Amino acid sequence: MNGLPGSFAVTTHGLSMRYGRETALAGVELRVPEGAVYVLVGANGAGKSTAMKVLLNLERPEAGRAEVFGLDSVSNGPAVRARIGYIPESHEHDYKWLTAGRLMEHAAVHYPAWDREYAAHLIKTFDVRLPRKVGTLSKGESRRLQFVLALAHRPPLLLLDEPTDGLDPIVRNRTLAQLAEHLADTPTTVVIATHHVAEVESLADHVGVLSEGRLVAQMTRDELRRTVLRYRIEVPEGWQLPRDLRIASVRRSSSGREVQCSTIGEQHDVTARLTATGASVRDVTPLPLEEAALAFLTEEGAR
Amino acid sequence: MTDVNRRAMPRWRNVVLEQIRIVAFSLRPVALVIAAVLGIGTVLIVGEILGGGPGFDSRDTFPTALFSFLVPFAVWRADRPFGPAFLWTLPVDRRRLALARVFAGGLWLIAVLALFVSWLLSLTLLARVSPMQTLARVPLIEAVATYLLGSALVLGLRHPLRWLLGAAGVFLLMGGVSQALEPYYGVSTLLGSRALYLAAQHTWAVWKTPPGFSQWAISASLSLGTGLAALWLAASRHKEN
Repeated sequence: MNGLPGSFAVTTHGLSMRYGRETALAGVELRVPEGAVYVLVGANGAGKSTAMKVLLNLERPEAGRAEVFGLDSVSNGPAVRARIGYIPESHEHDYKWLTAGRLMEHAAVHYPAWDREYAAHLIKTFDVRLPRKVGTLSKGESRRLQFVLALAHRPPLLLLDEPTDGLDPIVRNRTLAQLAEHLADTPTTVVIATHHVAEVESLADHVGVLSEGRLVAQMTRDELRRTVLRYRIEVPEGWQLPRDLRIASVRRSSSGREVQCSTIGEQHDVTARLTATGASVRDVTPLPLEEAALAFLTEEGAR
Repeated sequence: MTDVNRRAMPRWRNVVLEQIRIVAFSLRPVALVIAAVLGIGTVLIVGEILGGGPGFDSRDTFPTALFSFLVPFAVWRADRPFGPAFLWTLPVDRRRLALARVFAGGLWLIAVLALFVSWLLSLTLLARVSPMQTLARVPLIEAVATYLLGSALVLGLRHPLRWLLGAAGVFLLMGGVSQALEPYYGVSTLLGSRALYLAAQHTWAVWKTPPGFSQWAISASLSLGTGLAALWLAASRHKEN
């Protein structure tokens, strides 16, 4: 690891894991560039949280390995965790009888990089009430406290598991704005696991799609915007979709002569294939990030 | 970019001190119950002494070993040793952190036992009974040993309470089988809990009798050694690699 541009903050090599008979991860090869905001998309149970736990060495993979800034997550567990700010999927805090303030003191002891001034700023911004017992916090308050705990030591890597879950729209926007401010202030790599991509769309620059433990796509946002497109086409009577196209969704007009389909593939290639079948392409538009990412999950059932 | 190569790690001394502080929070409800029990006990005993009664029976034995065995359940009540606990997300080697937590709990246990012994001594002086005879009935070493065993149980088993209840159930069942097979003594000894029962009775008798120094030293080494070995094995289930 050298911290040079182009190096990776997170890499996994053939990461595989099962919970009983359920496959949690199957040969996952994550590549998260340093400084990226990488959104890991997938349905519930796709393996997003498990991948994060493996990075923290909270779960041991059956095969493969993970590296954080070049450090093996198993043999350098403490050093890896010192570089990570983590927001777990659950809002629940373990030490329910502690006050929010005392829990922060507890965390501060373990992170020499803890920035007290910045922590005070975050407490104010996230409106965390320090004298309140952690066990009495609402979902939203609890999540905001988790944000303060994760950000206050300015870690070079943030792992955020469903970070906006439990936040009302106003607080969610404020939280994401604060996160954006943090990223502008502190050079950080972020991995966000979510199935609400639209909420973090403004931050994302890389996307990975997990489906049943398999990483089915991994690319930059620009690449995704370039390769997942919606085509509006006019088709002759009895027209059929070309079999070799990767189709995410199809919608036909009532007359059956106009078709809208979302496909995965380079535009010139898809256009050529459609034209070859007698269809004429009227319009091509990029998809919003969420739809584009979900295209990889729906492509198998689209036809 | 921040220099991710140079990320400071927490000082071990600070981690241990913080564990001592955090365990104090965890044990607060237990401490309140103990304070209430000792308070009520003091009122009753002192009342009886002032009324001319004996107040205090120096042949009493104290369940400090059982109490100490249960303390780890309070020490670890917030954490899930086999789950994604907050504790395990901290940048400290997990086995060392687990041992630091056990050490912190042990320290508080010793403090409570010291307080209990002082309380007992004060009452023996008030009741004019032999303090040494009374103290001999407080199994302090065993208290530490059972604390270590209890900690090993909580740290080493995913469902310690189920194991405990299961073990108690098996013991009772074996007792029943043993009684049913009473005429066939050999079989019942083999299958039943007679041997265990006899061993337990013998151990209890040894505990009740003030031992000689060598006996005490052997017994202390054995019980503490077993506790430490069990704890090491249990903590090793949480090692990083």
